[in-house]
Amino acid sequence: MSEKNREGKRTARERMQQERAAEEARAKRNKKMIIIGVVVAVIAVATAVGVVVQNQRSKPETPVSAPAGAIGDKNLVIPAGPANAPSVLTVYEDPRCPACGSFERQFSPTVDQLEDQGKVYLNYHIVSFIDRSLGGKGSKYGANALACAQDAGKFRDYHDVLYKNQPDETADSFGSTTTLINLAKQVPGLVTPTFEACVKDNKYGGWVSAVQQDFDKSSFKSTPTILLNGTPVYPKKGEEQISPENLVKWVDEANQGKPLGTTGAASASPAPTSTAAETNTPPSP
Amino acid sequence: MASQQTAEPRAGSALRRAVDGQAGEWFGLVVRIALALVWGWAGLAKISDPAEAAQAVRAYEILPESLVKPVGYGLPFLELALALLLLIGLGVRIDAVISAVLLLTFIAGISSAWARGISIDCGCFGGGGAVDSSKTEYLQEILRDCGFLLLAAWLIFRPRTKFSADAWLAA
Repeated sequence: MSEKNREGKRTARERMQQERAAEEARAKRNKKMIIIGVVVAVIAVATAVGVVVQNQRSKPETPVSAPAGAIGDKNLVIPAGPANAPSVLTVYEDPRCPACGSFERQFSPTVDQLEDQGKVYLNYHIVSFIDRSLGGKGSKYGANALACAQDAGKFRDYHDVLYKNQPDETADSFGSTTTLINLAKQVPGLVTPTFEACVKDNKYGGWVSAVQQDFDKSSFKSTPTILLNGTPVYPKKGEEQISPENLVKWVDEANQGKPLGTTGAASASPAPTSTAAETNTPPSP
Repeated sequence: MASQQTAEPRAGSALRRAVDGQAGEWFGLVVRIALALVWGWAGLAKISDPAEAAQAVRAYEILPESLVKPVGYGLPFLELALALLLLIGLGVRIDAVISAVLLLTFIAGISSAWARGISIDCGCFGGGGAVDSSKTEYLQEILRDCGFLLLAAWLIFRPRTKFSADAWLAA
């Protein structure tokens, strides 16, 4: 009897212990599931918020304002020379890119000559991706300053000055707006309060970003990228190495039997109609 | 890869005591903070320029254009969320599992770019995009991610660490 009683008590106690253990295990499991749920929720919410925030922070692919006379469906391209020239030379350059600097030092006189003879219409895409890999702001600020010079109708001259005074790729001297304005003094009549404000305020920052995003989506991966009527000619056209002589030869071959473009002033980029710091809505091409 | 940790308990009882006991939890704290710093650094480096982050994703030539921006925009925030969770030590094991999955994805992406012969920078800590073929560092990038993977693996097998929200909640 007492034996049985003890036996019964023990089994009851054991049952209770088992139940309590099961209860604890369940509570522990629930706690774990809640923590996992919280972790997953935190990550999901953070990522979703991030997408929304970055979407708002990213600059639009179609710029709100563009420098005067910019062409192309999004006004991302700075033209130079006669628009009715028989050939188009498209140039993708980054202000900080050393290969662009050496291209310019070697080819600038030839390109200017072709332009002035009415043989080519220049289309410049001023990209700014070197800041990404090396850090700094020289590509972006340099590109913006070139857009400001385009507003003032002196793009070509300032472009040549910048490449003549290009720093080492790793030195970010174009990241200083003071440096950019000082270099602009080498172009007669370029430095005005309007130009200075445009450079200092990074007025065309959104446009510069749009030009770069357009380049991001293109199939081109490096600068300089030089296209003659859409065909890459740098560093080679087919099997032929580019050289000033070859470039002239290729242009002349492409232009055979076609009338040359109208030649006027050396810098054919249209001057802006007003110098007020307002948004330019360039005419559609 | 992570079998080293699982094999450790067989490697003598002193070592096992060290790994399972206080010392292991202290070491786990160090591993947890280290992994949190990796994610924090990676996330912050990708936030400043959304277009750059999108281009880093696009350069892999794996995802369709429609997914390039969401991934480029969302990934840094995912990384920062992981950093934060690891820093406070909430749900360390699940954090480590997600970290490992993410790292394996990155390793796969870099390997795929390497195998297809395209020249890019991984964009792991900002930057990214096409680079000159002489400037690719695929092997270093993969080995670095494997190192981070070891940190995550440790935390998957030994999620109990000192000064963690998990420990505080369990008390």
